Formats: sequence, C-alpha cells, structure tokens
Amino acid sequence: MNEQLVEQITKMVIEKLQTTKTTSTSQIKNNDEMPVKLFQNAPTGNLVVEKETANTGTDVKFVPIVSDKKQPEIKSVTKKTATEELTKSRAKKEEVLEGLRKQTPARIVVGRAGTRAKTDTWLKFRFDHAAAVDAVYGEVPSELLERLGFIQLHSKVVDKEEYIRRPDLGRRLSDQSIATIKEKCKRSATVQIVASNGLSAKAIEENMEDVYLSFEQSLKNAGIETGTTFYVENGRVALMDEIGEILQPDIVVILIGERPGLVSAESLSAYICYKPHLGTIEADRMVVSNIHKGGIPPVEAGAYLATVIQKILKYEASGVSLVKKEG
Amino acid sequence: MTGYSPKLEKIISAGIDIGTSTTKLVISEFSLTNVAGSTHVPRIEIVDKQILYKSPIFSTPLKDHVTIDVAAVVSIVKAEYDKAGIVPAQIETGAVIITGETATKDNAREMIDYLSDEAGEFLVATAGPDLEGIIAAKGSGAYEYSGDNDNVIANIDIGGGTANIAVYKAKELIGTCTLHIGGRLLEFERGKVSSISPPIQKLLAAHNRQLHIGDDAQSPTVDFVLGFMADYLNAILTRKADNNEAALLLGHLPNWQEDIDVISFSGGISECMYQHESHQYAQASYNDIGIQLAKALQTNQDLQQFTWIEPIETVRATVLGAGTQTTEISGATIQVSPSDLPMKNVPVYNFSFEQDFQTGTDSLEKKIAEAIDMFDAYHEGQNFALYISELPHMSFRAVQKLADDIRQMMERRPNPDLPIVLILQTDHARVLGQTLMAMNVRQSVICIDQINVEHGDYIDIGRMLESGVVPVVVKTLTFHSS
Repeated sequence: MNEQLVEQITKMVIEKLQTTKTTSTSQIKNNDEMPVKLFQNAPTGNLVVEKETANTGTDVKFVPIVSDKKQPEIKSVTKKTATEELTKSRAKKEEVLEGLRKQTPARIVVGRAGTRAKTDTWLKFRFDHAAAVDAVYGEVPSELLERLGFIQLHSKVVDKEEYIRRPDLGRRLSDQSIATIKEKCKRSATVQIVASNGLSAKAIEENMEDVYLSFEQSLKNAGIETGTTFYVENGRVALMDEIGEILQPDIVVILIGERPGLVSAESLSAYICYKPHLGTIEADRMVVSNIHKGGIPPVEAGAYLATVIQKILKYEASGVSLVKKEG
Repeated sequence: MTGYSPKLEKIISAGIDIGTSTTKLVISEFSLTNVAGSTHVPRIEIVDKQILYKSPIFSTPLKDHVTIDVAAVVSIVKAEYDKAGIVPAQIETGAVIITGETATKDNAREMIDYLSDEAGEFLVATAGPDLEGIIAAKGSGAYEYSGDNDNVIANIDIGGGTANIAVYKAKELIGTCTLHIGGRLLEFERGKVSSISPPIQKLLAAHNRQLHIGDDAQSPTVDFVLGFMADYLNAILTRKADNNEAALLLGHLPNWQEDIDVISFSGGISECMYQHESHQYAQASYNDIGIQLAKALQTNQDLQQFTWIEPIETVRATVLGAGTQTTEISGATIQVSPSDLPMKNVPVYNFSFEQDFQTGTDSLEKKIAEAIDMFDAYHEGQNFALYISELPHMSFRAVQKLADDIRQMMERRPNPDLPIVLILQTDHARVLGQTLMAMNVRQSVICIDQINVEHGDYIDIGRMLESGVVPVVVKTLTFHSS
C-alpha cells in the first residue's frame, strides 16, 4: 500500500465527517480542490528563533533556546570528503536495508520516530488490519458463484458470530443442504471439489475462479472425473468428512479462505483428503496453502493440484500416510 | 514428484576444460531436494555439491598451432572416466568448455560437438570469452565472495591465451571484458624467442618495437611487453583504457559502471602466483612468459591499489565452474514431453510483457514473427525457445488467451511440427502447458519455468529427473573471432 492511497482514504473520511458536520455548500463544492496532506514537508508553527536581548534594568538574561552557533566541524580540513563519505556510506547502508526489506513482505527495517513506529507504518498497519477484518466479515459475490455454476449451500452456522464461536457447527452441513446434495450431486466421483469462504471471503473473490478453472482443466487433461462442485457458506476444513460420508468420492478437495494475516488477507488454501469420513484424523489431510497473487499464482496452483491428485490416486493415501507409502 | 518427501536425488555432473595450454576434468555429484515447506508447491534445489574426482592437469593435445588433436583429447577423457569409475551414461549434466585461444583453433567447434556426444549424452558444449570469465569467477570463489560483503570484485582468469575478466557485485554480474594477456603469447626455446603471437606482433608494431624469433628471452622488449600487459590490465580495471590501445583488447571495452574494490586471479597465471597444485604442475616449465607475467602483475605498483584476495582454485577454477556451476534446475511444476528431451542448442528469444498483459499480447505476434525470421532466416526448420518474462498477475482467462496466441503463432513457423519450447520467468509453466494440452495442440510441448535467460543465449534442456524437474544449462556459443 502506498502513501497516496492512505491520503486518499483519509481524504474520504474527512470529507464524510465534514459533510455531516456542516451543510455549507461551498465547502462541499470545493472538496475536490481541498488537498489532504498527512505529512508536512516543511516545519510549521512558531519558528522564530529567540535572540538574546540586552534587557536593561534586570539581572535576568534571556538566552536563545536555539543556538545558531554552528556545530564545530569534526574534521574541518577534510570537510568535503567527510560529507561525501557520509552520503556514500548512507547510500550504501540504505542499499543494504533495501536488500533486507526485499527478503520478506513482513514490516522490517521501517524505522521509528522516538519509541513508536512512524505514522505511515502505523497507518499501513491499520489499513492491513482493517482489510483482514473485512475479509472475515465480507461476503462472496453470488454472481461469481453463479458464473462458476456452484450450487450454494450452508453449514449449520447461522451467522458469522456463531461461525467464530462454534467451529464444530462449521464442520457440518445444514439439514437442508444435506438434502440438496443428496438430490443434486453426483455420487462416488473420483474428485469432489468444494468451495467455502472460511475465514476470508476476499480469498474466494480474488482467487477462486483462476484456481478452479485451471484445476478443472488439468483434471480433465489427466482424464480424472469430477463430481458436482458446490459452495458452502461458513464452512470449515473438516466439513469434508461429512461430505465424504454422504457422497463417497475418492478424494475431497476443499478450496477455502485462509485466516487473514497482515501480509495478505486474500490467501486461499486447498485441503485435500483421500476418502474422508467422520473420524478422519488430521494427519491424513494435506494442504497447498498461500495461494494468492503474492504467493503461489492461483492459475499455477490449480495445475499443480491436479498433479497432487494424481499422486494420491496412485498411492491411495493422503497426508502422512502418503509420505509413508511413497517411502 | 517428490513433493512431500525429504529424500535426496543425486545426479552426476562432469566439467571438462580444454584451454590453450592445459586440459582438465572434474566429476561431481549434486544432491537435489525439495526445499519448500510441505504446504507449498515444491521447489527443487541443488543443496550439496561433492567433487568426486579431479583429473591431473594435462597439456592440451594439439596437432599443430591451428588444430586440436581430437582423438588425443577423447582418449584423455575416456581414461579419466575410467579412473573416476564412471561411464558416460551416468552423466546427467555438466559442460565442456573450450577456452582462451584454443577456441580459435580451426576444428574447435567440431571438437566440442563431438566430445559432448562422446562424453555423456547431456554434457553441453560451451565457448565464448564472456562465459569463460563468468565460469572462472564462479570456480575461483569470487562470485561467492561478492555475496558476503558489498565490495565490487573482479576475477581475472589468465590462462595461456586470454585474460577473462568478470566483475561481480552482490552475486550479480555487472560486467565482463576479455584481453589478449596470457602466458602463451610469447614462447621460448632454449632461452630464445620461438613464437610471437599475432596480438603481440600487433602491439610491438604499434609501439615501434622489434622482436624476432631467435632473439634472447631476456630481451628488454620482452620486459616491455610484460610491463605493458600489467599496465593495460590496470587501465582496463579502472576503466581508463580507450580503443586506441586496442592491440590487447578482444571484443568490447569494460562495460561495468562501478569502481572495483577487490581483485582475484585464477587460471594458469594464478597458479604461478599461489602454487596450489603439488609439484607436478609447478615444476612443469612451459617455456613461455607465464611465470614472468605472474611476477609482472604482482609487482605492478598500480595494481596494488586494489585489495587482492587469493582464489579457492587457481588453474582449476574454470573446470570447477564448468562442472559445478553451469547447471540450473527448473521449477518443479512444469510441462514437458519426455520423448523430446534432452534438447540441445536451442536459441532463446526473449519476450517481455513488461508487467502489462494487454500491451504484451498486442505485440506478441510481431515479436514471434521476428524471432522466426531471426533464427530461421532460411526456413530450414531451426527451432527456438520463447522466453516470456515480466508477466503480470495472470488470470485463467489471460492464460487461455496467451496459450491461444502462442498456438496460432507457432503454426506459422517454417516447420510447424517442431516442439513448442517455452521458458517462463515466473511460476506459470504448468498451467500454460496444461492449457496448450487442453487446446489439443498437435506439437509436443516443452514448457519450463523459473530459469533466467537472456536474449541470444542458447539453452540445453536435460532429461526429466525423478523429482519432476529438468536440469538446464544456459550458455553462449560464440567462438572467438580474431
């Protein structure tokens, strides 16, 4: 996120505050021209430097707070080379720091102002945190699900608050949804694909189409039969167990929004399990995570998932059991 | 695919260096493993390199001054394989490099092609002065050194015929330069000058100096040549040389922009400086200016302004680089047709999307037409690899569009039946390959990724390994022209 964006958002907030506070039309009109500046380029306030004044009559002597006496040069003879050296070493230092920053999307070497983070770092943090919250409470556009032809179903969870408090309910389908899949979905398919918003609706919105289409294509290329794909609102990973019981596919793949972090709020995971059933142990599930623009490219992840599926089918196992069988 | 297993896969690599004065060979073993976490797409990397065998240093067999003795070279290589206890079929990667003046010998190209066929199916042939410098800098340790601090380092590999300079900063190549400075440029016999190479003749003529066959080896003119070489090397390193003094310049002037802090020497001349090898090499009197040249460089005042570091390898830097540093490993999610591998000497055409899909696809057609013209001007059916770099974030529909464009354009090649070879910079090979398959393209498809190549490079793609990756050697095939 850049500073421009921070400014733009702040501007929008201030505009909103102003329109509620005052109905002055002229101000609304001039909103476009009103620049919002977060960071002052030049110092403001009372900048007058107090001069020592020869005050007659009293013994009190006023001494200027700001000394205009120049700092003594450390090496006055080599002044020029010293400053040149300094700029050069600063530039070199900055180069090294930039190298470090490039190593990770985490907020490292961001500097500080006194004991706290700098304002722009702080604002970025707030922005990313807000994005994470939005991802959890956001909604997947139903237009996207319709375009992909997913049947839309629900877990036993009623709303988001309950979803967060009761993980167990997120692992089961609502009675109506069970009835729907029994009626509409293909049974005993080789691969059953399920989508769920999980903890990030944004993950589905950003990545689902690319992952799904690419995955479907690769499965088709490999001649692997797929079931009827559906979407479960407010699902959790272990939802695949119940689906396994009802539809009896060889493999269930659940594409689910990951818990958002401050680096990315739109990361998608694919959890895969061979013949899941109620009581499946966690070690038998496997996952391909970090699917988003900054991680595994969604289109490539889809193609890769098909390779994983082929391997699972070959060894008839997933997770730790697969690793053991592979030897 | 070994996506979820930590097991190691081992492959054997060979390096053969045929230089102006010496020929040597190394056999090494690479360990490959998945370094990505189990929840990620696998990333296969070379995690360990072990040298299994180092050959002695042989004098390069020459029939006469312009011809390499192919049979003699092949028999050296075969004998060394026997001693190392391996057969050519075991060698899965590596490089034969023909260096220095040897590359100008009449039969250099045939020699190298013949040897790469004889000495292992996927042992690639390379030559070219810039590449020599790069490989030597990797073998000498200069490349590694540059990663540990922020000094700019120049590795100067001086053998019999040429000095190949490669300049690195933070493991990034920032420039190369090649000079006619080497031990074999003046040769002696029983204390008399017996051979003067053309660059030296040119240099002497330019400075109105006389030196003839039969002159005394101690002649002041020889000292002049040595002094000139050292001064000229300094001028090149400090970028003060210009074209007027071009007698010793081979190719272009220095092309790096930063000041060099550290220098290291490798090659035969470096051996004369540091004596890493046991007596067998040090005792060998080459009857040329090698030892004197080493001394001239070591005593040159101007060269002392640089920090000198001793190389890890002297005379073996190039062969070590060729054997252990030329192989790259592709991304793990790729699409290749096994029957078309290995594939050798495919020229690379770079097409950059510059992070914008629309502009990219708009100009793709024109660029591919250019590539066809460039590599197959006579419509003989020479294939090329399309290197797609700087791709923006790709949606599935964008991949489909790209695949469709590629499919159509590849049909317009003079020989459309050749495999479609694609190299992607970013991790998109599997999906693009799969999309092409879904479109039922009639050609076979080789689509690999996470390899960095440049326009005009040649690429060799090896057989698919158990880990699902392919070894790739990026090289240039330009032989010296002088």
